[in-house]
Amino acid sequence: MKTGNCNSQAQEAAEQPNFRGIRDIHQQVLVLQEKTLIAVPQDVDVHPISMMSIPCRDQSLEKDKGNPIYLGIAETELCLCCEESGEQPILKLKERDIMELYRNQKAEKSFVFYRNATGNISTFESAAYPGWFICSSVEKGKPITITKDVGKNNIAFYFDPRD
Amino acid sequence: MVILSWLLSGFILAFLHFARSEKCKVSTESQHFVAGQPFALSYTIIEVKNNHGNVTCYKNSSETPITLDRNSRVHQYLGWILFLPLTLEDSGIYQFVIRDLGSCQKIFVNLTVQNRSSGWCGDSNKDLAGLADNHNQQTLYLGTTSILVCHIVTLPNSTLSPTQWYKECKPIGDKKKYISRHLALYIENTSTEDAAKYLCRTKLTYMGKHYDILNRISTTLLNKIGGRKEPEIIYPRNNSIEVQLGSPLIVDCNIKDGKENLNHRSWSVNGTLVDFLNSTRIKEGIESNVSCGEKYYFYTVNISFLEVRQEDYNRPFICMSGSSAAFIMFKHPAPNVQGYLIGGPIVVLCVIVFVMCTYHIVKVDIVLWYRSTFHSTLSKEDGKLYDAYVLYPKPKIESQNQEMNILVLKILPEVLERQCGYRLFIFGRDDLPGQAVVNVIDENIKLSRRLIIILVSESSSYGLLKNMSEEQITIYNALIHDGMKVILIELEKILDYTDMPESIKYLKQKYGVLQWRGGYTEGLQSAKTKFWKNVRYHMPPKQYPSSLDSY
Repeated sequence: MKTGNCNSQAQEAAEQPNFRGIRDIHQQVLVLQEKTLIAVPQDVDVHPISMMSIPCRDQSLEKDKGNPIYLGIAETELCLCCEESGEQPILKLKERDIMELYRNQKAEKSFVFYRNATGNISTFESAAYPGWFICSSVEKGKPITITKDVGKNNIAFYFDPRD
Repeated sequence: MVILSWLLSGFILAFLHFARSEKCKVSTESQHFVAGQPFALSYTIIEVKNNHGNVTCYKNSSETPITLDRNSRVHQYLGWILFLPLTLEDSGIYQFVIRDLGSCQKIFVNLTVQNRSSGWCGDSNKDLAGLADNHNQQTLYLGTTSILVCHIVTLPNSTLSPTQWYKECKPIGDKKKYISRHLALYIENTSTEDAAKYLCRTKLTYMGKHYDILNRISTTLLNKIGGRKEPEIIYPRNNSIEVQLGSPLIVDCNIKDGKENLNHRSWSVNGTLVDFLNSTRIKEGIESNVSCGEKYYFYTVNISFLEVRQEDYNRPFICMSGSSAAFIMFKHPAPNVQGYLIGGPIVVLCVIVFVMCTYHIVKVDIVLWYRSTFHSTLSKEDGKLYDAYVLYPKPKIESQNQEMNILVLKILPEVLERQCGYRLFIFGRDDLPGQAVVNVIDENIKLSRRLIIILVSESSSYGLLKNMSEEQITIYNALIHDGMKVILIELEKILDYTDMPESIKYLKQKYGVLQWRGGYTEGLQSAKTKFWKNVRYHMPPKQYPSSLDSY
């Protein structure tokens, strides 16, 4: 690890997603179960997923809401997406190439989330459904969903760079 | 009859089983837990709306549902199967069959019960050693308030005693740095020493029975993240650069941004990202980054032009990242200052030389034109009577003598007096007989503005100025009276001045000499010929007759 000075070797980072570990504020990691993300404690035999994030480059998106990003699950073709189901939006995993989403000039808003960071805590707000945030349940072992009830559900996540 | 009833009931059961497996939506899950602790098994995913509609639970292929008797070690309570406590024998596949308004879902949960692992506190703390089962991984963040969570299986209608926390098997005593609240432990100002193994301990009471719960937590220390909120664009800085039209160009954008930030970095022009221009001429380069300390990256992304075109000038190319942006503009190169420094004076010098040459050629015309245009202002009263005193020798050769007389007595008066309106004093014409020569000269010279001397080559004359005191006096007077100008006219070309008197040589050097070219025919002379213009130029300004208003 180097401190103070910058590395002299520059790394070329071609367009590729940023890999992140995700963990809710209750120290639960996310696991993939039947195309659903479940928040569980990181015990033995638990295999947490890594997230892929890549910026959405549509200039018409709101600028003050945070970084507009697409979110995918590493080592899969699954991307997070908000869809209307009945009367309210739900969070789904859909088979999409995150790089294809990135290359589109026009945002696919249902896949776009505004990431906001305060200290080491991040929140993810749906671009398609303003005011709805990705959340984990208070109950353990429950799926990740979206909520507009930010007081009741946990919307705070650690979103740590994977080196 | 009994056999028939048995057969019938068996048939109905088989039918129900068939119906159950046929109609229901099936999914599978798997869970792990350790033996020795209370445990509540449930399913995570449910697609039926009312998830506690009507749940029946089975173990493995058993036809008998799990009992609802709450005194049983293993029983169903609402949507859970409770194990009080969990044993190794409880491993197996559990079915949850959920029926709700005609829809049905069957969830198979594969439960693996793990043996209690040995503790890690050593002999000194034996009672903890045997119970430390659940190995949990959690994250601490250096320099922040970190939160550890004691993960307890939630049982319905159960109570928990306050959580006790241990760090490396020792009870945590520092109540300022470590704050226990509910099932969480807050660690203020997390340092490297906090990256340790922790234990959380609590007592669960359910149905009047107490169960000791002890979880061990391993920690990973991460660096504090979230340093810089917005990226800093180091270059460009809303500046302009000089760019040659048609030349290729690459401009780097340098950005410093926090490692945890997810900002995009790109160039844009006219509100469009360069990547989306679909141009082969203007392109965005591949981004590179340099790690700078633990918190920052220095990013570089360039914009390249195969050739710079006119349309690229004076419009901003913007490098942006997050909510930061900075532009660069192109301008045409400034003119070559060095070239101007060298070339300028040369040009000025050439102009000056040209003007001077031109002036030299046309100055006579200019002066004469000026005099004819502004003559009235030039004429002034100076007490003089004559415009010029004409001095000439008497050549020895007869033909020359004749020519001299024609020039002096005919042509000069014709042009200068009649045409130009000058008044001349010509010795031998204007002097009165009987006057003393010296007096005549002296007086009339003083009354003249110019002295015209006609020259012939010394050999052909009667020794001009050598013998004649008349001329000598004239010359001396001309020289002494500084204001008096002299006009020298050669009757013919004189090649050799060596025999001439010093005074003539001096005058020639000072005033130059005119050569008579006009011939000796009377009446054909015009004041507009070059010779006469030169003479008139040397003559004082004079008011012309109105008929001669231009040269």
